[in-house]
Amino acid sequence: MLDKATLRKADIFSGAVVFLLGLWIVGQAFRMPMKDSFGGVMNVWYVSPALLPLFIGGILMLLGFMLSRTGLKTVGSAELKNTLQWLGSRRLLWFLTSDGSMRFYAASILFLTLVFLNLPRIDFFVSAVFFLFPFITMFYFYDDFLLKKLLALYAMGAAAFILYFSLGIDAVAASLVPFGADMLAICFLIIYGVYAWKWIRRDPSRRRKYRIAITMAILAPFFIGAIFKYFLMVPMPKEGLIVAVLDYLWYLEF
Amino acid sequence: MIFFEQLGTYFQMLVYHVSNPVHLAILFGSVLLGIIFGALPGLTSTLGVALLTAITYGMDTGSAMLCLLAIYVGGTYGGSYSSILINIPGTAASAASALDGYPLALKGEAGRAIGLSTTSSAIGTIISMLFLVTVSPIVLHFALQFTSFEFFLLAFFGILISGTLTTPDLVIKGWISGFLGLFLACVGRDRLQFYPRFTFGIPELDSGIEVVPVLIGAFGIPQIIQVLRERIQIGDVQKLQRITPEFKTIIRNIPKIVRSALIGVGVGCVPGIGEDIAAWVSYGAAKNTSKHPENFGKGEITAVLSTEVANNACVGGAIIPLLNLGIPGSPPAAMLLGALMLHGVTPGPMITFEHPTFIIECAAILLLASMCMWVAGMTLAKQVVKVLRIPAPIFMPIVGMLCIIGSYSLGINIWNLYLMLPVGIISYFMIEMGYPIAPLVIGVILGPMADENLRRALMVTQGSFWPILTRPVSLALVLIMAWMVLIQIPFVRNWKNRAVAKTVQLFRNKPQG
Repeated sequence: MLDKATLRKADIFSGAVVFLLGLWIVGQAFRMPMKDSFGGVMNVWYVSPALLPLFIGGILMLLGFMLSRTGLKTVGSAELKNTLQWLGSRRLLWFLTSDGSMRFYAASILFLTLVFLNLPRIDFFVSAVFFLFPFITMFYFYDDFLLKKLLALYAMGAAAFILYFSLGIDAVAASLVPFGADMLAICFLIIYGVYAWKWIRRDPSRRRKYRIAITMAILAPFFIGAIFKYFLMVPMPKEGLIVAVLDYLWYLEF
Repeated sequence: MIFFEQLGTYFQMLVYHVSNPVHLAILFGSVLLGIIFGALPGLTSTLGVALLTAITYGMDTGSAMLCLLAIYVGGTYGGSYSSILINIPGTAASAASALDGYPLALKGEAGRAIGLSTTSSAIGTIISMLFLVTVSPIVLHFALQFTSFEFFLLAFFGILISGTLTTPDLVIKGWISGFLGLFLACVGRDRLQFYPRFTFGIPELDSGIEVVPVLIGAFGIPQIIQVLRERIQIGDVQKLQRITPEFKTIIRNIPKIVRSALIGVGVGCVPGIGEDIAAWVSYGAAKNTSKHPENFGKGEITAVLSTEVANNACVGGAIIPLLNLGIPGSPPAAMLLGALMLHGVTPGPMITFEHPTFIIECAAILLLASMCMWVAGMTLAKQVVKVLRIPAPIFMPIVGMLCIIGSYSLGINIWNLYLMLPVGIISYFMIEMGYPIAPLVIGVILGPMADENLRRALMVTQGSFWPILTRPVSLALVLIMAWMVLIQIPFVRNWKNRAVAKTVQLFRNKPQG
């Protein structure tokens, strides 16, 4: 959590956001059937679906206003002016590129790419390794310089995958090579692994961590995935290359 | 006669679970997993319950409850390991235990502290189980008299009180968080007229927001990001000697145990407030009533006892409003509510009609879980503390993976993930800005109850709010809520403080005899 002085400044803005959200909720609620007919049923105000949203929106507007007001009263207009200047200065850029912020971006980007990019399109097991291996290596070395390097490579890979899927190359590749996206992800993982190795190979303690990262990144998805897929009978979001191999082995009659 | 019938059912449930090897394995496994989740800083019993909910999807309700209650009990207790051994609370519930547990470990009494924490946690859970069994019929009796107005006000009360008491900063933020949760609950087609609210034409939103993925996102993702962003590193683990059950200390401190258990159950019953508040209140009470308050913070054994009894007593306390009113008493109980809904059990006043033995079964499971926890704590603690050496950058990404596959597997719907992750990231920012997450979750859970009951009540009264003031329970709830709001106004707060001071003065000046 932020410190108290920064919290009060943040309250001015978060209060304003809450107020605007409340206003939007009220605006949307007024579009809902109030006393008119919906689906052939004449409404009365007290059974309207707008009743609770109006109530919530109104209260959020009030609370948002009160929060902003409290923040403004505590901080004062001079400090608010300083904050606004800070928001328009280079110091904001420094904050946004600080080590703590980079760690936040790294974790968020890894989650976002897994959920919105990889899981729906790439084999579950490959996606999971694609998530865990970069995740563990970015944080386990406790080195922000290395984190930035690895994050940059990962982001480039993710951008390449976005292009690959959005330009429809995956459909073309699928007709030529089976499991094209999975193959590509595995290739990227190898490139990522070699790149990370290049940075850590001279340090024995990091080499040990690297080996642990690889082991965990491969073992954990197989353990978790196998439980869900074969014991709880949950079909994976995307079943590709590895799932096909595992299915073959699982259902093989010896 | 009914009492003996219930007692018979209780023992029947105990025998049923104990005689089933699969159930015993589930029980031990879940307790152990709970202890590990509680012990690892950054992981909580709430997250443990959330993740296990996905795994219990295919189980019958009894086995699922066995699994979830066991991890809840184990997780609440497990936090004391890291509190005592490394001075980092594994969960917020055990933060108070670190104050005296760690100094005890530094004195070479870690085994004694862990043993005491194990025995007192088991006792706390058992006492709360007794309360669950005895208080539930009374609560149910009253709850059956409730009309839609009372249920609407109860939902509203739950959000307000949880917002008031869980906020780490301004009370307004707790309320905002609660109302944001209520807003999320409005998304989807409304249940009376089937009108789509805030769905933006997306068919997946028509059925509303899935509760469990929201809960997993709100509790899991921010924790993972926070631990990794702030680089929380675990220090040296203190040496753990022979663990002793400390029965003598327990017998010497029976009044303190009873007081702490009452605090735990009482705090647990209040919607949305968790084990952490129970532990702190109990710690405060123990210190204030101690003959040697100066020893607190320096390794006072009764401090560990008081906090551990209270936080585990909170488990049973939190289940009382959950099962009888459908209002979760704590964040893990909110997860339990989500899990119960998945299994087709709707907690509330009708629970004894729809599932006559359910509360008794929960009580039996609590007893088994506490016994299992005690055995695991006494025998496996030395092995379990080894997990404290696993670095966060290894286990946190794996927990993230579990959050994702867990959310997805509930309904086998990738849309759950599209919902879970944004909720998680927004929750992270909210936590950073001092907004509590528990009221948001309570709001999401209680939203449908508030919406349906408000409109149903108004339909019955043809749009009149008058019964709110004429029905005693409604009036009481309205007055309490009004007081909660008014007390935040500085003028009213000052007036209250002056009135309290004057009353105290009056009693002090009163002539003796």
